[in-house]
Amino acid sequence: MRFDTVIIGGGLAGLTAGISLQEAGQKVAIVSAGQNAMHFFSGSFEEAAPVRERVSALFAAAGVRTNAIDGLQLMPMGKFQPVSLTLEDVTVFPEEHIAEKALIVNFTGFHDFYCTFLAETLEKAGTACRIRFVRLPEMEHLRTSPSEMRSVNIARVLDEYWEKAVSDIRILLGDEDLIILPQVFGLKDASVLDKIRTALPARVAFVGTMPPSVPGIRTQMLLKRRFEVLGGTFLMGDEVTSAALHEGVVSSITTRNLDTARLFADHFILASGGYFSKGLAATPTQVYEPLFGLDIDYPAERKDWYDADFFAEQPFMDFGVKTDALLHAVKDGEPVKNLFCIGSVLGGTRKEDYGTAAGLAIRTAFAVVDTIKGGNV
Amino acid sequence: MKRNEYDVIIVGGGITGAGTARDCAMRGLKVLLIERHDIATGATGRNHGLLHSGARYAVTDQESANECIRENMILRRIASHCVDETDGFFITLPEDDLNYQAKFVESCLAAGINAEIVDPKEALRMEPAMNPDIIGAVKVPDGSVDPFRLCAANMVDAKLHGAQVLLYTEVTGVIKDGDRVVGVKTYNHQTHKSGQYYANITVNAAGIWGQRIADLAGVKIGMFPAKGALLIFAHRVNGIVINRCRKPANADILVPGDTVCIIGTTSTKIPFEECDGVRVTPEEVNLLIEEGAKLAPALASTRILRAYAGVRPLVSADNDPSGRNISRGIVCLDHETRDGVKGFISITGGKLMTYRLMAEMATDLVCKKLAVDKACETASTPLPGSGEKSFREVAEKIWENPTTVQKAAAGRLGTGAARIQSADSLDQSLICECEEVSVGEINSAIERLDVNGLTDLRRRTRVGMGTCQGELCGCRAAGLLAKAHGCADRARADLQDFMTERWKGMYPIGWGDALREAEYTQWVYKHVLGV
Amino acid sequence: MKLQEYTASAHNFEECMKCTICTAYCPVVPVNPRYPGPKQAGPDGERLRLKDPYFFNQALKYCLNCKRCEVVCPSGVKVADIIQSARIKYDHAQPKLRDVVLANTDFMGKLARPFAPIVNGTTALGITKTVLDATFAIDKHRTFPKYSGRSFERWLKRRAKEQAKFDKQVAYYHGCYVNYNYPRLGKDFVKVMNALGIGVQLLDKEKCCGVALIANGMSKKATKNAKHNVDVIQKAVDAGLKVLTTSSTCVMTIREEYPGLLQVDNSGIKDSILLATRYIYQLIESGQAQLKFKENYRARIAYHIPCHLEKLGWGIFSTELLKMIPGVEFTLLDSNCCGISGTYGFKKENYEASQAIGKPLFDQIKSVNPDFVACDCETCKWQLEMSTPYKVKHPISILAEALE
Repeated sequence: MRFDTVIIGGGLAGLTAGISLQEAGQKVAIVSAGQNAMHFFSGSFEEAAPVRERVSALFAAAGVRTNAIDGLQLMPMGKFQPVSLTLEDVTVFPEEHIAEKALIVNFTGFHDFYCTFLAETLEKAGTACRIRFVRLPEMEHLRTSPSEMRSVNIARVLDEYWEKAVSDIRILLGDEDLIILPQVFGLKDASVLDKIRTALPARVAFVGTMPPSVPGIRTQMLLKRRFEVLGGTFLMGDEVTSAALHEGVVSSITTRNLDTARLFADHFILASGGYFSKGLAATPTQVYEPLFGLDIDYPAERKDWYDADFFAEQPFMDFGVKTDALLHAVKDGEPVKNLFCIGSVLGGTRKEDYGTAAGLAIRTAFAVVDTIKGGNV
Repeated sequence: MKRNEYDVIIVGGGITGAGTARDCAMRGLKVLLIERHDIATGATGRNHGLLHSGARYAVTDQESANECIRENMILRRIASHCVDETDGFFITLPEDDLNYQAKFVESCLAAGINAEIVDPKEALRMEPAMNPDIIGAVKVPDGSVDPFRLCAANMVDAKLHGAQVLLYTEVTGVIKDGDRVVGVKTYNHQTHKSGQYYANITVNAAGIWGQRIADLAGVKIGMFPAKGALLIFAHRVNGIVINRCRKPANADILVPGDTVCIIGTTSTKIPFEECDGVRVTPEEVNLLIEEGAKLAPALASTRILRAYAGVRPLVSADNDPSGRNISRGIVCLDHETRDGVKGFISITGGKLMTYRLMAEMATDLVCKKLAVDKACETASTPLPGSGEKSFREVAEKIWENPTTVQKAAAGRLGTGAARIQSADSLDQSLICECEEVSVGEINSAIERLDVNGLTDLRRRTRVGMGTCQGELCGCRAAGLLAKAHGCADRARADLQDFMTERWKGMYPIGWGDALREAEYTQWVYKHVLGV
Repeated sequence: MKLQEYTASAHNFEECMKCTICTAYCPVVPVNPRYPGPKQAGPDGERLRLKDPYFFNQALKYCLNCKRCEVVCPSGVKVADIIQSARIKYDHAQPKLRDVVLANTDFMGKLARPFAPIVNGTTALGITKTVLDATFAIDKHRTFPKYSGRSFERWLKRRAKEQAKFDKQVAYYHGCYVNYNYPRLGKDFVKVMNALGIGVQLLDKEKCCGVALIANGMSKKATKNAKHNVDVIQKAVDAGLKVLTTSSTCVMTIREEYPGLLQVDNSGIKDSILLATRYIYQLIESGQAQLKFKENYRARIAYHIPCHLEKLGWGIFSTELLKMIPGVEFTLLDSNCCGISGTYGFKKENYEASQAIGKPLFDQIKSVNPDFVACDCETCKWQLEMSTPYKVKHPISILAEALE
């Protein structure tokens, strides 16, 4: 099968590149070994400020609405974090004093939303908090299984019965000027967020939960659909087993499912992620890029891969594939002419130019898309 | 007797201290147990959890071997919910001397251990994980024992018999009246308050740290700290304990315990100052995997959950500073006869699974000194939770159709699981998905088992001991603790300590799936939750 | 081997990172709270079962084996295989008579075929349905697939000579459905292959692939069938033939489940048994053959990808072929299980769950409002035709009707 560009990895980086190239008239295939980090998305595109208008436009066309404003996001464990671009689910506050009085509402038995932590932080910033619980009969069946009071399952119920939750919240509401709800609304369709905001007599802020992330899953679904509507081929649940790489050029890749039906393309983009997604891998003696055997710099001694403090910067998080200025992958010291790397597979190697996390994914995707579109590869 | 006066003060909340507190309390003494951290934080919780049959010592030390088999049989009776009767094999590999086997079996039988030569093919059928190249196999009544559960059950029973327990309380000084120890000075690390407690007898059951307690009492005990490193594999590779049939050496025991299996150990002498905060080195990890794969080849490619190390409280029996006479057996020192210091006893050495005998010896000595004439009953009185033969029986006695989480609870708590029986489905909701720990079980632990933080909770419930090492359950459990203790700041700090403690065991084996899990956990905690 | 170079565990259960993505995409979880979900039933449960088989949970039977968990798992864990293997290993209960009846698709076919008009008439009768519902717990809303009066095998045998005239030959694994219920699809397949200049021959007596037997706890019989099928397919392969099938489930079972669940070695045939659309697409793409279509063919087609085809990753071949037909207006439906899952949806206790699972798909089809739905799976066809007003056609049949 022949494509203009084949992208390995269907997460934020891969989809951003895929959609952009497809919009530019290319024929693109994405090979995605399962779902991805969008399912653990905080809702904030960290370090994406330099490209936020471009991201917002790209996402808007896919039906994903964003807040491209500077401010603070209230994190699930109660910390405030500066943001510049978020999904519409995230309420962006101008300051830590977010209200005089806040009502924090959770669903009884949902342990992945941390009301006590939120309340304590908010109280410190001068917001008086009350925590109340809503228990919907429509949610009771979830309790039959001890592991099902989780964000996605609750969101599925609320997609249908959000109005009942809203009536209960109305009853619970006192003189608070802000209602804080977990991000368990609008799994399929974000329009319910606006409906809730309209239906409640106080301001509403949605705060994140333990993964899976409901806004993240919805975004992933919409971006994938956008890519497919544009004519892109998304190969979900397939993985690349080998690549034909000769004299610094990749001619084709082979996947587990399509085997003999190899994928040929002019350009290949490696968006395979970090360790979790197996874009990078480690054994007791080496860190490596499993698909092409690309170059990675890391300390020889294993003990230097980690910091003993879990919350410190971990050296292994910075290991990544080496690239040249145009993000061409480097193998045995030489750039591969038509293979680009974007997103977490870069680790912290391009921190200075493109940041980390979601910012890295999007900014490197745009950079490579521009290179390919410019024909100046 | 005044409020802070006791018959006996026991220093150390490991298994020896807990067992001694129980024995003393059962004999009617007024008991205070003082522990500077939590229960089972020293060597108690940092070994294989092997319920020795004694076979390992049969050739070299008949006395130890005999102690082991007797205590082995006793624990099966009194601590059934802590014991897994797996049996064990002593295997001979091609590079081992098969002649050793005959001597081994003979010595086992002499010590009263039922050792039975099994045809290698039959042995492999019984335990398919074993190295298929074996040329010999001997079956012995080894098993596994959960140290946390065992320690907690002893502690609870001591309390049921009237003992008092102070956790997170460090002994900072020994109060003496002339040549007699009459009490201890303490400092509580949580309330930051000092205290003084008095007793006729003080029992030093502080394990390797007993040297420091003895110092405070003006007595010299020559401890020889030997670090032993172990690895936990993510699931049960073997169902039967696998040992090497040769003289005891490094990494020659693989023990299945609860949902995991454990390979160990190494043995390295370390300076006493390093006893706190021992770390496992990459060399130790490599050696454990290499040797472990000889017992069960699957270990070469089985996911490792964590590495940890303990310090054996080895002691020179006759106060010999050269250390030539190091004993791995039980050491019970009457400092009155040994050093002329009255009212002070040290109980150390021994093994996790001979704790009861150690406690009996110490308590006998205490009773003799206090002229209390009451026989030891710990060998015949079951611990709380013990009773049914299997956790299946426990579960089915309590619930009609036990769910997975109920079965798991019955496995951990034995008959005590009845306590968390609940009609409300809210209580059945899972906090820890890997180990199947429910809200009900956690709340019950918080209410009844002196839980100060997440790490304490882990020792009592297995929260965070599964594959994800706390990534999912840490936050959820922190939420419950924040609610129970009414303080989110404390719970947040506690969560950070917990994750750091989990990480301590993860980074020494930080490759493959463990590194994938680490990256994911970093992502979730730093980017998603904002801890 | 270098130590700890990789992790090897049965069906990769150790690679599970506990991310719970599988649970988010499981079609059963939202509709049946008694099902513990793929993560708990699969990798989490496996650790516990390795500790003690007492942890085996009967609720694992609610798994559809749709394999969606495996498709979305970012870690490559064979979640569904773990679950189905656990059922095979630990569930020793005798299957119910009803399940035996439903599972033995070929035996039932053989039995019913000569009496097809009577059987079809009887099973369609309200009274019979009520009896089936009450005594067999087969849901009364279900219509049994009709049995054809003449088997496909007989039809093709009569044409063996004319098929042999083609230079190029393939063997056809038609499966129970084509043979007993819907020979028309087999005939369409022969028409398309002939148009490509290829003759079609039967295997030397194929048996049911066994998917329904596995699902209903009859893995021993499934294993017997598997060994037989591997042997007869091997014979065809040895004779230099590719073996094609029109059933996405049969081919998934033969390629994946034989070695994964039944421990039947299929390495000699795995690369040679293919879905017809894959074979045809590759033939056309490589320029070795072409199809001529009617100029005036017009159809608005909504394509539904069956779970097992999604698992194989071969949906692209069917969709690309359909897109090749001039005059086709093509819509790709969101990937969503239709809920029938072979015999699952026929059982009374599963009827409601089955319909609830398929609801988003039924709704989407109605909103797209195509001329008809395209789908590679026979049981999806039953479910969609029963639950929506639209006809469902196999891509091969669509090719056949669009051929000049």
